[in-house]
Amino acid sequence: MSYDDVEIEDMEWKEEIQAFTYPCPCGDLFQITKEELKLGEEIARCPSCSLYITVIYNIEDFTGESDQKSKKNLEPSKQQTVAVA
Amino acid sequence: MEENERAKEEEEEEVWSWGAGTEGQLGTGKLEDEHLPQQLLLAFPSLPSAGPISLLACGGAHVIALTASGRVLTWGRGTSGQLGHGEMFNSLQPKPVNVLESFVMTHVSAGWSHSGFVSDTGCLFTCGDGSFGQLGHGDYQSHCSPMKVSSFGSKHVVQIACGMRHSLVLLKGNSGDQVYGFGSGKRGQLGISKDKIKLISLPQVTLGFEDVEINTIGANGDHSVALSSDGHLYTWGRGFSGTSDTYCPQCLPSSLWLTQAALGWNHVLVLTGDGEVFMLGGNHHGVLSGPQKLGPEKRLLEDSREVVLEKVHGLDGLKVMQIAAGAEHSAIVAEDGVVKTWGWGEHGQLGLGNTCDQTSPQTVSLGHKLPNKHATSKVYCGSGFTFVTRTVCLPSQM
Repeated sequence: MSYDDVEIEDMEWKEEIQAFTYPCPCGDLFQITKEELKLGEEIARCPSCSLYITVIYNIEDFTGESDQKSKKNLEPSKQQTVAVA
Repeated sequence: MEENERAKEEEEEEVWSWGAGTEGQLGTGKLEDEHLPQQLLLAFPSLPSAGPISLLACGGAHVIALTASGRVLTWGRGTSGQLGHGEMFNSLQPKPVNVLESFVMTHVSAGWSHSGFVSDTGCLFTCGDGSFGQLGHGDYQSHCSPMKVSSFGSKHVVQIACGMRHSLVLLKGNSGDQVYGFGSGKRGQLGISKDKIKLISLPQVTLGFEDVEINTIGANGDHSVALSSDGHLYTWGRGFSGTSDTYCPQCLPSSLWLTQAALGWNHVLVLTGDGEVFMLGGNHHGVLSGPQKLGPEKRLLEDSREVVLEKVHGLDGLKVMQIAAGAEHSAIVAEDGVVKTWGWGEHGQLGLGNTCDQTSPQTVSLGHKLPNKHATSKVYCGSGFTFVTRTVCLPSQM
């Protein structure tokens, strides 16, 4: 059973481990990578125990980012305009 | 001189720890979980004048020890600066917080990754993770040495309570503006506005205590509690057992006279003046209480969506002196000094020699029995670990 439902905006990006994290009651951190989110994974696991949480997010927010990178020379998108501004 | 030596012989303090230990939080000098109580040799060689421990504050994975002489030592996870040692490293051994050396400290609290310290002159200091404003300095910076929270001015702070991402402060006196909150307020845990407030980095008055005198405050997870001097419990923040969040302190309707409250991440334990223990919430993870095994009673609870205090079964005939709650486990000390634990046990935090969960209180074995010795125990819980201090009085020779 999922320990909790957590919105992605409540998770913290940890550069050292390249993952979004959220406190686990054991003292460690639930973790999920951008790559996992891009694939539609919604379970963030704790490396130290059996608990996991369900991450609530829009998959487009993560697939969109990769599109922006890979296609930026082909289609100058809205996102790019935002980035410039 | 002779008097001092005799006093030393007659009273001896033991410190025990168990549970999750991979950040050094158990003070064992090792980075591993312990499923059975480990007796520590916390002689505080670095601080000979410290005296015995008067309070332990256990957080996400760090511990703050307050000693009888008002000194402060910390150990465990320090990667957010929560140990106050001026660096961002874990510490396997208790080390004094040097910045606070010139003060006599009277209260401390450990949150998920931040720490709070109160001096006898009513000054508040905080350090650790500040990214949600939980340090109260008006910004979102983290600090690895305790910094004075200046916005209280000449107001006298008596208590600090640190939760996952927020802090509460209790001021001296009963002028109405006794409780302040800062940090994350997304679940209502600051109690400062009926509207949703995501974050605030400066202390704001918690509403609803205009006509109430508050004795103690508590914070853990996204919950906040306060106990009034007339024995009532107020809760705000994340709802228990799936009920909605509350943005202002709510008085729990109960005729019980409550003297202590201990918060977990999904439950709160309360102790009555008669030494009985009740629990609010706790069926979230399915292990903290037994109601799911009772079928009809549970269904009734879910239907009504009302959170009610339930008596903790299995403590009949015991007078409970003190209570403590970890994120998902609970602990009590009974009048005879016996320590009992229940709840989530995956990291050995129940101290029963295994990793099983328990739905009812189980007795923890703290070494061999001590015949003819009177012992006073106190229990403290961090997220996934537990500490006990036990003062053993040896029989007088006279």
